[in-house]
This record gives sequence, C-alpha cells and structure tokens, in this order.
Amino acid sequence: MGRLLEGSEIALAKLITLVENNPAGMTGVMPMIQHRLGKAFCIGLTGPPGAGKSSLASQVIKALRSAGAKVGVIAVDPTSPFTGGALLGDRVRMQDHYLDPGVFIRSMATRGSLGGLARATKDVIKLMDVFGFDYVLVETVGVGQTELDIMQTTDITVVVLVPEGGDGVQAMKAGLMEIGDIFVINKSDRPGADSMAVQLQGVLQMNPRYASAMPPVMLTQGTDGKGVAELVEAVRARQAILGDTDLEERRREKRNLEFEEILKWAVVEEWKGLAGSDEKLKDRLSEVVEGSKDPYTMLREIFPYGCIRPLTD
Amino acid sequence: MEKKRPIKVLVAKPGLDGHDRGAKVVALGLRDEGMEVIYSGLRQTPEKIVQTAIQEDVDVIGLSCLSGAHNRLFPEITSRLKEKKMENVMVIAGGHIPEKDIAFLRENGISAVFGHGTPVKSIAEYIRQNIAFNL
Amino acid sequence: MSDSGKIKEKRKLWEEKVLDPALKRFRLDKSPSGFYTPADIEGFDFIRKVGFPGEYPFTAGIYPTLPYAVVGTKGSLPSAKGLVRAARYSGYGTPEDTRDYYKMMQSQGLRGGPNLAMDLPTQCGYDSDNPMVRGEVGKVGVSIDTLRDFEVIYESYTGSLDLDKIASNFTINAPSNMIIAFYAALAEKRGIPMDKLRATPQNDILKEFVARGTYIFPPRHSMRMFRDSAVFFARHMPNVNITSIGGYHIREAGATRNQDLAFSMAIGAAYLEEGVRAGLDIDSFAPKFTFNAFGGSMELFKEVALQRAARRMWARILKERFNARDPRSMLIRQPMGAHIGCSSTTLQRPLNNLTRGVIGGIASALSGSPPMAFPPYDEPLGLGWSLEASQLSEDAGRIIQYEARLTDVVDPLAGSYYIEHLTDQIEEEAWKELEKIENMGGAVAAIENGYMQRKVAMSAHERQKRIESGEELVVGVNCFTDESELEVLTGRLIPHPYDEAKREQAEEQQIASLTGLKRSRDNRLVADLLRELKLKAGKEEENLIPIFIECAKAYVSEQEMCDVLREVFGEYKEEAAF
Repeated sequence: MGRLLEGSEIALAKLITLVENNPAGMTGVMPMIQHRLGKAFCIGLTGPPGAGKSSLASQVIKALRSAGAKVGVIAVDPTSPFTGGALLGDRVRMQDHYLDPGVFIRSMATRGSLGGLARATKDVIKLMDVFGFDYVLVETVGVGQTELDIMQTTDITVVVLVPEGGDGVQAMKAGLMEIGDIFVINKSDRPGADSMAVQLQGVLQMNPRYASAMPPVMLTQGTDGKGVAELVEAVRARQAILGDTDLEERRREKRNLEFEEILKWAVVEEWKGLAGSDEKLKDRLSEVVEGSKDPYTMLREIFPYGCIRPLTD
Repeated sequence: MEKKRPIKVLVAKPGLDGHDRGAKVVALGLRDEGMEVIYSGLRQTPEKIVQTAIQEDVDVIGLSCLSGAHNRLFPEITSRLKEKKMENVMVIAGGHIPEKDIAFLRENGISAVFGHGTPVKSIAEYIRQNIAFNL
Repeated sequence: MSDSGKIKEKRKLWEEKVLDPALKRFRLDKSPSGFYTPADIEGFDFIRKVGFPGEYPFTAGIYPTLPYAVVGTKGSLPSAKGLVRAARYSGYGTPEDTRDYYKMMQSQGLRGGPNLAMDLPTQCGYDSDNPMVRGEVGKVGVSIDTLRDFEVIYESYTGSLDLDKIASNFTINAPSNMIIAFYAALAEKRGIPMDKLRATPQNDILKEFVARGTYIFPPRHSMRMFRDSAVFFARHMPNVNITSIGGYHIREAGATRNQDLAFSMAIGAAYLEEGVRAGLDIDSFAPKFTFNAFGGSMELFKEVALQRAARRMWARILKERFNARDPRSMLIRQPMGAHIGCSSTTLQRPLNNLTRGVIGGIASALSGSPPMAFPPYDEPLGLGWSLEASQLSEDAGRIIQYEARLTDVVDPLAGSYYIEHLTDQIEEEAWKELEKIENMGGAVAAIENGYMQRKVAMSAHERQKRIESGEELVVGVNCFTDESELEVLTGRLIPHPYDEAKREQAEEQQIASLTGLKRSRDNRLVADLLRELKLKAGKEEENLIPIFIECAKAYVSEQEMCDVLREVFGEYKEEAAF
C-alpha cells in the first residue's frame, strides 16, 4: 500500500489484481485511501464494437498528456460465458503510450455479471485515483447492460458512434442514446458522417434527459487525431460546468449505487457460503432448483425477518 | 483468501518479425482454454513487453519469434523482468527456434520452448501445471 | 429429357440400389468418397470456361505450351547447375558476406541475377545502427542501408553479368521504391541507363498488412508509393516488373483457400485501380504485374483447381472490369504453381516432408507450372535448408518431369467433372468474397478496418482447432503417433553454405560500415536532399522516385528517407488484431 502511494507501478498493478480477483481485498485497502480519493476525473468511452474507441482513446491520451496530465486507462473486454477466457485486445491500439511513465494501461475482462464489471472497475478507478492520475479513462463496448454500468461508474460518459451506412441510425436506437454527456461520430472521414450528426442531434432533441441542455455532438478521426483537441476541450468544458458542486452531487448518487452493489454482492457471497456448508439450506435450495417451490416463497421462508439485519445504533 | 481466477497471459511478438499466425493462434487458443489473454501487437521491444507485463500483472508471458533474433531478444526480456523483481512471471516461447538454442534459452529464464505444431492444449496444460500460484 | 436430367435420375437410382446397400454393409452413415458426373458441371462450355492454352480465359494455362517441358531430346541431356535454383533466394549478413556467397555460387556455375532476401530492419525501414533493431541485422537476409551496400553486393556482377544483362529480384515491400532507387543509382554510376534494367521488386505492400507485417506507412500512403512505382516503371523502367502479388503469404498466415484467392484478387484490383487513377492506360502497365504464388495445402485437387480458378478470375477482372485489350495484361505470371506451403510441413518425422513436397510437385505439374517439390524437407527445423534437402527437392521436380512425364500435357485435368466443378466453385466463392470487399470500399478499406486481418487470424484459429480435435489429420502430429511408430531421424546434413559465424558478426560490421559512410559522405548535400524530399512528399501528386534516386546517389540511407516520410505520412498502427 505504501508503495502504491510512492508511485510504484508494480504495487498498483498487484493491487488491481487483488481487487479484481477478490473484492474482499478492498476491505483492507479502502480505509487507507478513502480520504485521498476524488482528485482524478473519470471519463467513460463507450460505443458499439468497431467504432474505433481504442484508437480514439489513444488520441485522447495523447492530447491529455501533451497538457501535462497523467492518465490511467482501463480497457474492458468481454469474458466468454462458455470458457471464462477473454481476449484483451484494446491495448494494441494504445502502443504509442507503452513507455510513457505518465500513462498506465490496464486491461480487464468482464468476468461474469452481477455488477462484476462495475464493481471491480470502480475499485480500480479508486486505486488509479490514489496513485495520482489526473484522468482515468474507462473504455468499454457499449452493448446490453454495460453502458448503464459505465454511466454509473464514470464522471462523464462519451458515446462513440461511427457512420456505417444505415447501421449508424440503428446504433442510435440502442440504449446508448440516453447515457452520453458527449456524443462523438468517429471515423468522420467516411461518407455520411455529417448527415449522421444531424440525425443524431434530432434524436437527442427528443430525449427528455437533454431537455435543459443538449450534449455536444462532435466529429473525430481516431486514426489521425482530427477533432480530438476539440473533444478534449469539450470534456474539459463539461468538467468545468459540472464544477465541484455538481460533480459532488453526481458522485454522491454514485456512491449510493455503489454501496447497494457491494451490499448485493456481500449478501450473495454470504448466502453462497451458508448454502454451501449447511445441509438443511442445501435441501431447501434444491426445492427451488428442482422447481417444486417458487423463489419468492422460499425467500420468505428462509428469511422471515428479511435478509439483512443491520447494526443501527 | 485467493479465489479461483483466470490465468492472465501476455502473448508478445518481440523484434521486427511480422509472422504472427502462431502468436494469434496461441492467443485465441488460450482464451478458449479459459485464460485472459493480452496480445501485444507486432514489433515490441523487450522494454515494452516488460512494461506491459508489469501493468497487466500477468502470470505468463508467451514470446514468439521467427526471425532468428530469439537468442538476443528473449534473454533481454527475462533479465529485465529480474531487474524488476518479476522473476515469478513464467516465460515460455515459440517460433522458429532451432533445437540447439533451447538449452541456452532455458538457462536464460525461458521455462519452455514449444516448437512447430505444438497443440495449444498442451501449452495450456503446461501453464496450468507449472504456474506459480494455486488455482 | 436432357442428358443432365437423365444422369441425375440414374444417380438417384444408383444411390438407392447400389450405394446405400454398400454403405450398410460397411456400416457407414454416409459415403466418405464422392463421385462426380456431367450433372455437376451443368452447361459446361469448354470455350468459355477453359479455352485453349494461352488464350482467354487462360484457365488451361497462360502460355500455349509449357516451354520448360522438353524431355529426352536425342543427343542432349537436361542439366541444371546443381543447386542453382535453391541458391537463388538468398542474401545474409553484411553485403560483403552476400557478395562472397554469390561469388562462390558463381564459381559453381550460378548465372543470372540475384534474388535478394533482405533483413527485417531493411524491410521495415530501419538502418542497422538503430538501437531498436539490435539482434536482427543480417538475420533473415542481407542488410541494406545505402547505395554502398548495393555497390558491394554487385561487385561480381560485371561483364557478361552486368546490370543490363541480368535480372534481379528484391523481396522488399514498404521501402521498395528506395531499393529500386539504389539499383537505378548503381546502374547510373556504371553508365547503364535505367530503361535497360530488369528487375522484380515484390512491392506488394497491401498483403504486408494482412501477413508478414513489414509495413511502415498507413495503407493510403503506401498506395501512393505503389502509384509512384507503377507510373515511374511504366514510363522509365519498362523492364522492371511493378509488383509480385502474394496470395501465398496470406495463405501461410492462416487464410483459407477462398480467402487466399479473394484477398489477392482484391489487392491486385486495388493496385490496378491506383494505376488507372494515375492516368495510365491499363494495357501499358498491367502486363508488368506478376504474382508470387497462390495456395499452399496438401489437398492436391483443390490446389490445382485453385490455380485454374485464379487464372480465369484474374483474366476476367482485367477484361471485364478494367477493359484490358492486350491479352498480356490478363496473365498470372508466377514462378510457382500449386504447392503445399511451408505450413504443411511438420517438425515431427521431418523426412515425411519430402513426401509432402513431392505431392506438391505433382500438384504444380498438374496445375501447369514447372514441378517444384517445395519446400525442402528440413524447412521446419529452422536452420536454413541443408544442401541434401535442397538436392532432393530439386530431384523430385526432375523425376516428376523427366521420369513420370507429368508435364507432357497442358492442363491434363481439364474436363474432369470433379476438377471443373471445383474450379467453378472456388471461383464463385472468391467472387462473392471479392464483392463483399468491394462493398466495403475495396482492399484498402478492408485492411484499414481490420477485416482481412481478423478473417485470417480466425481462419488460422479454426484450422488449429480442427487439427487438435482430430477433424483434420496430420500424420505424425495428431495421428499415427503411438509407440509402435518409429521416429525417423535425418542423417548427415551439409548445412547451408552460409557461414553462421559471419551471420553473428554481421551486425557489428554493418554498423561500422554505416558509421564510416555517414562520416565521409557530403552531409550538407544529404540534409538538402532530405529537405527537398520532405517538401515533395507533402505534395500528393509528386512522384518521389526521382528524388529517391538523387538521395541514393548521395548515399542517403534508407531509414533517413523513411524517417522523412514517417513524419509526413505517419506510421501504420496495427488495426484490430482479432
């Protein structure tokens, strides 16, 4: 822990492994870092596969670095539900920063559901925050549930889309349209980028979330960095608008959500421990598993006083 | 309490050699064997490979080289790992490695050399049996 | 009822009455062997689909006859100077080492120009004194930094072997135009005009993004370099081939047969378009395209069909899409036909690779090419080919030709229901894939977005899975491996005549040569030329080969030129590996 605060990359890497593998690992770590949290600004980068997020991330890192900021990067890739394995390939596109001491890149696999991604990612963000990064960039594929996760994890969410014939509009219909603070049309040298920007603005205007203020829609090219300076400027502008108060407000909500998540995880873990060792509970559980009893009734029967009895005084 | 967790592997291509079929097949195969695999991309210097291994905190590094520069590049990687006190990372290798060089590489910290035609399953098996931590 | 209808009806009866009972007797669910009839090539039109050798659509062959196929003329025995062919693709260590090697081979009867293998620093645009390339100098080929190195290598190529009398091959892609500039500069210093030069640079940069990986600049800028070569060679170096397109490399990187064909056709079409866009008449430059090879597998019939499909498809692309009129524009000129590819060889019981090579040699003869039992059997041992292995490889080709007489007939499998069916099928699937790539925006776009790279990696992975599951069998690797099998070791091997010790010392020596040269040359001129290069590189329409030649003459190094271009063009970053 001390070595983390001294800036040892190896210590940071090992701690990340610890929290990734075993959330209980954070129990020992958190009290020591809690009061140091909150310096890093966390940017989420999400969008459909093939939108060029990693290349864009690499350009964003470059821009942030040239302004002297230190950047931590978390690149998330999906775990195969069948084998438990994962191919973590985003790093390849961030090669320019491999030897930069002001950049730390960590790949993470989603490793199953139950807030797994969100929890471990949040903890890794905290570790990077304490390590002294000014920005933490979280890159994830935005399909299905993960995009909500990312919105609840980062301070600001950048949604990355790409003009792909009619598919661009298709992407707009997916759950991505409500979570962005900034929208980016990457690979903007492709035909249809401008018209997609217009369409996108139309879609966003109809969304109640943006009734008071429209999110910026920007054009970028991850391959050569065109539009990236403007994107980073927009991020900074949002950062400034959020200010300390709004940011704190957002983070308060997030901490609440985070607590609920950890609670869920702890309850389930505890239950697994109990059900694994107690023969009677195992038998009861088998009734649910076999389908002879519905789960709601079973819950009431096993926990007549509720699942948790908190210490309140 | 260490929980059961996936083994994390860095598959890396040191030097200028661009023949990446083997590296990619191994990367995809180890993924199918339930491992978390990071692929470095081509033209990696020993320094970059070690830096990636540090940040990703990998258990295993798999090196692939078909250009004949292995006797120079592989030991440079293992000695850098030693410098960083990361000798516990297992380093294995493949590519065009003549039989006569294997002893030299083993002396220099390469745990195993897998030749042309090795099934990925046997590589996975080797990793599982020889890895430093308990699964 | 049509013939085809009758056959189909008869086939149904045969399956019910003859085949099925047989299957039952052998306890088989379905027949492991197929049988083809005219119904499988319905509407087969010989003139349209096959044609005569040397005539459109060139399915039977690009030449009316097989000129190498002379066998047993009274009074003259065939001879080839020992291991000449095996010695051709060579180059190692310092330019001095390579020069000495060629001198030695010349003393043993080698004629003709060199086929130069270059080391990876040269292929990737780095000088030997760059700390990044330590350990690689002189390893997989000779190290070339400046014109000086060409001057050394070609020392023994004078008189009857001077540059206007030999043809050189350069396995070089990204910095191809610089290497050609070295060659032109060398010729100029010897008073030989560049229009007398004969050479083939590989100059197939697009496949480097998909396989082999010796790229430098991003695909679009690489295409500008290609355009420069197409235009410059067409106008000023009429005897220099523009490119040698390699489907083989893509195949070896893991592509399927169909991807091999479709991707190389897409890449070839992209090059043609580049030339047309630059204002060249298609027939003024297409005849200067060559191909490295297609294919590479043990499946003899399919590999033969692939060659036939490739010849027909390229001819159709040229004629139908590019409106070529000159038949020479439509030919697939390549040094090697069907073959097994290095990836079919095994480390286990390596002598089996001789058998495999022979099958490849038979396939090449049947596909209309000189029979080549490629590669020599010790290929997977990683030591360079021994002379014995090269000798046997050479002999295998000779036996196929002179004893088995497989080259007596052009396209001997033409008209086989099975082969014609396979040829149609392979071509059809390649057209489909080509169309997909065209819809993406062509080969360049399909490389920029990582499509080809991903496809190839996935195909390699799929094949590995098939081998590991036993779905695909490799003798001595995943079957016939139990204790009753004998491990057959190869006997005495004369190593390749490269001197290993020299290879080890090459790096130091080459760095010393380069350092000395960089001190002694006119460095003010170098700086001026590099400034001019940068200026010209910034102008899209400028052809850079003339300035490369000026740079070459002033002993500007390859990396110095590449670095200027890296600044202007940027460097390629690997796209989506998987």
